[in-house]
Amino acid sequence: MSQLVVDAHSVGKVFGKGEGRVEALRDISMQIEAGEFVSLIGPSGCGKSTLLRLVGDLTTPTSGEIEINGKPPRRARLDRDYGIVFQKATLLDWRTVRKNVELPLEIMDVDDRAKIADEMLSLVQLGDFGDHYPWQLSGGMQQRVAIARALTFNPSLLLMDEPFGALDEMTRELMQQEVLRIWHETDTTVVFVTHSIPEAVFLSTRVVVMSPRPGRISDVVETNLPQPRDEDTREAQAYYDKITEVREALRRQEARA
Amino acid sequence: MTVGDQEHKASEIDDVYQTEFVSAFEGDVPAGTRTPSALRHRLRTAGPAIAAFILVLALWEGLTRLFDVKTFVLARPSLILERFILTSDVVWSAGFNTLFEAGIGLVAGTILGVGVAFVTIRWAPVREGLMPFAVAANSVPIIALAPIANGMFSLTSPVSKIAVVTVVVFFPVMINSARGLIEVDEDELELMRSYAAKPREIMWRVRVPHALPYFFSAMKVVAVLSIIAAIIAEYFGGSQDVLGQYILTKASLFVYADAWAGILVASILGVTLYAIVLVAERLIMPWHVSFRASDAT
Ligand SMILES: Nc1ncnc2c1ncn2[C@@H]1O[C@H](COP(=O)(O)OP(=O)(O)O)[C@@H](O)[C@H]1O
Ligand SMILES: [Mg+2]
Repeated sequence: MSQLVVDAHSVGKVFGKGEGRVEALRDISMQIEAGEFVSLIGPSGCGKSTLLRLVGDLTTPTSGEIEINGKPPRRARLDRDYGIVFQKATLLDWRTVRKNVELPLEIMDVDDRAKIADEMLSLVQLGDFGDHYPWQLSGGMQQRVAIARALTFNPSLLLMDEPFGALDEMTRELMQQEVLRIWHETDTTVVFVTHSIPEAVFLSTRVVVMSPRPGRISDVVETNLPQPRDEDTREAQAYYDKITEVREALRRQEARA
Repeated sequence: MTVGDQEHKASEIDDVYQTEFVSAFEGDVPAGTRTPSALRHRLRTAGPAIAAFILVLALWEGLTRLFDVKTFVLARPSLILERFILTSDVVWSAGFNTLFEAGIGLVAGTILGVGVAFVTIRWAPVREGLMPFAVAANSVPIIALAPIANGMFSLTSPVSKIAVVTVVVFFPVMINSARGLIEVDEDELELMRSYAAKPREIMWRVRVPHALPYFFSAMKVVAVLSIIAAIIAEYFGGSQDVLGQYILTKASLFVYADAWAGILVASILGVTLYAIVLVAERLIMPWHVSFRASDAT
């Protein structure tokens, strides 16, 4: 059995106290193995971001336990195990594209930063844009810079929170292809939040379906689609079947609610 | 990567160039020879302002002559210029003394303002206690303190004027800098957290660059305000060899053209300080958004 990257046991998260108390997550147990690509899907407010943030030690659970690479999340964060990509590219305006990609390396005191940054930019097909400023790039290009930045220091776990949510459909499909390629070329494990069913099915080895109030895991769908996935995958019957399976899983919880 | 993707990428790039670069020079350069001519462009945008300035002066001169307006009502520009040249020794001597007060106060107020801004972000209680007070203080005319400052410090020394300028400069600089340091995008902070960045690194790599535009917009205001504050403080007494006293004395002796010459020197000083801030801003944050579109319009 391969090594567990994420190991969550009965994790709960409650925000606030008394009147304003919100139970965002209840009894979440989830194991993710090295090299998996796992999507979290569910209606808005079901706690996808919260779960991702718990994994990434951007917030702490109120109950249960999480281990990342066999360590507490905080330790994993201090060991720089996480690469994070948000819906917004969140590039620093005052830095060129290359300097943005170098940012984590500067903080981690890595040498040869410019060289690594340029390699990463080539990986996301932006090799010629190192000297541009973020505002000179389109939304899709900015998001690719954000992905390059998240990968510079070889994190073992890539956390992505609706990274393509703000992109148009065309760019979105291209970015999905690109993320898969990068996932194949690196040995990163990916946890990917989305509310698009086709996106989750196309990208993932496993789709975790969540239900709201409080957020729970209601289903897990193994996609079992052949790798590598490409434009043909999008037209394969197996792909449509999996989309239907995830859609029905989401429907079932509506019926239950 | 597929061919389609390449094409798509190329069109993305085209879009960027079309919206951001080409439009910046459109109409400026014949199509096909898209060479940026920044200087020509600068002149073109400055043109209307210069024309308006000359027009106002011409109207001012013409109307005061046409209606034979008395100098005590409104001095003619030509007369002001003549007195400005003839009295340049005295008026510039007064000007430099005022500039000294304003300059020291500007530097002191800026250092204090930035210093306190840093403190407010390190210690939340200081921020919560101080900011409402500072915002309130910033909306009262602090310049009204001038006579009191004259009582606090020796009337004849420049210290009382410097103190007034310092206080006037302090509040906008402090409030804006603190705002810039605090109002950082939450995602940027979380990214830094995910890199396990130290607070000092977050400060220098994220907060300070983010605060620069806020800081400079305060500096543009206080650069001019420092001269105004110094002159008003001078009206309430003290050394005679300063612009405030010069203008006051000349006006009370009905030598209005000389008083206007003093005002002209004050304006030159104010504009100069403002220009210094503009140049510093461009040098320190050439990336800023305000320098992108400005050349396009
Ligand atoms: N910092 C917070 N404070 C209070 N409530 C929060 C906070 N973050 C999230 N929540 C609540 O937790 C629930 C789950 O939120 P979130 O994880 O953002 O959902 P999703 O990403 O699936 O849309 C929501 O009800 C939201 O209002
Ligand atoms: Mg979310």
